Amino acid sequence: MAVLSYIIVPLVMALIGLGMVFAKRDLFSVFSEGAKDGMKTAVKLLPTLVILLSAISMFNSSGAASALSSFLSPIGERMGIPSEIIPLILIRPLSGGASTALIADIFEKYGADSFIGRCTSVIAGSSDTLLYVISVYFGAVGVKKTRGSVPISFFVMVFCVFFALFLCRVMFV
Amino acid sequence: MIGKICGIIYVLSFLFGCLTGNIDQLGGAVIDGASNAVTLTLELMGMMCLWSGVMRVAEVSGVVEKMSKLMSPILRVLFPDACKKNNGLGEIAASISANVFGIGNAATPLAVCAMEKLQENNDNKDVASNDMIMFAVLGTASFDIFPTTLIALRRAVNSQNPFEIIVPVWICSFFTAAVGVLLVKGFCAFSRK
Repeated sequence: MAVLSYIIVPLVMALIGLGMVFAKRDLFSVFSEGAKDGMKTAVKLLPTLVILLSAISMFNSSGAASALSSFLSPIGERMGIPSEIIPLILIRPLSGGASTALIADIFEKYGADSFIGRCTSVIAGSSDTLLYVISVYFGAVGVKKTRGSVPISFFVMVFCVFFALFLCRVMFV
Repeated sequence: MIGKICGIIYVLSFLFGCLTGNIDQLGGAVIDGASNAVTLTLELMGMMCLWSGVMRVAEVSGVVEKMSKLMSPILRVLFPDACKKNNGLGEIAASISANVFGIGNAATPLAVCAMEKLQENNDNKDVASNDMIMFAVLGTASFDIFPTTLIALRRAVNSQNPFEIIVPVWICSFFTAAVGVLLVKGFCAFSRK
């Protein structure tokens, strides 16, 4: 499977290259027209990303994450969430970079093969930086009212955490 | 909604910064975040140009049409509006495949291409359509067949078996996506735009 993900991009480019050489249609201009639109979209994204990333960077260095996790961990423990992974649950929806750092830190402290390490892996593998995803998707097309998107994906993430804990308890004995 | 969340984050960070004594670092962090956004946009711009170009070529050569036909049994249920207007299914299919196979940074640009098509189908340009909500929620429920970064992190701390988490990740991703689909369907049934 890993090989597939390495080979697809060069393969796609090679196929387009064949098209550029042999097709009657001028695929070079088609490609560059598309690329021009892509550039416009990227520029449109910048304001959204400035607001989002400055907020998240401020959050990360304010110590809010660790303060909030020590506040939330007794509640989490009661619901069956180990207090070691609460910071990850807080950071995961906000920042990809910070959660990667946190995951490395958890592995370092508790080991990747411990219950905590496995739970961390499964949660990280099946969730995503939801705030970033939603901001980029809707920011790129200029939709202002995202309706249920944020609450639904947040709920889905909560489900993911509990289901991951359940799976780790059942599958790794 | 995103605006409100960012607002809450600004206020919370300020309050916690005062409480924990980290307030002196916040100013620098805000500036760093803003300039990181520019770096990220530049990186994204290259990817966005490349993949928008690739998708345009795929469109004129009929590959998009074929992809949407191939995946239409699933997509018809998930994205009824795009299916009815026959616009955007190919882009959605491409973006989902890039997500699943973890193809070199292509997932976000392709997803944006798909969102642009969904916006063409959308009657009220300021408000998300049902298809868009479905697409965004599926985008946040990551489904990566081979979680490269995670495996690398596990290897780095000498895990006995770095790959043992792959099957639980698949199961968890599948059920997470399924719950997402059900919730979006339920939400759209009760909420009129």
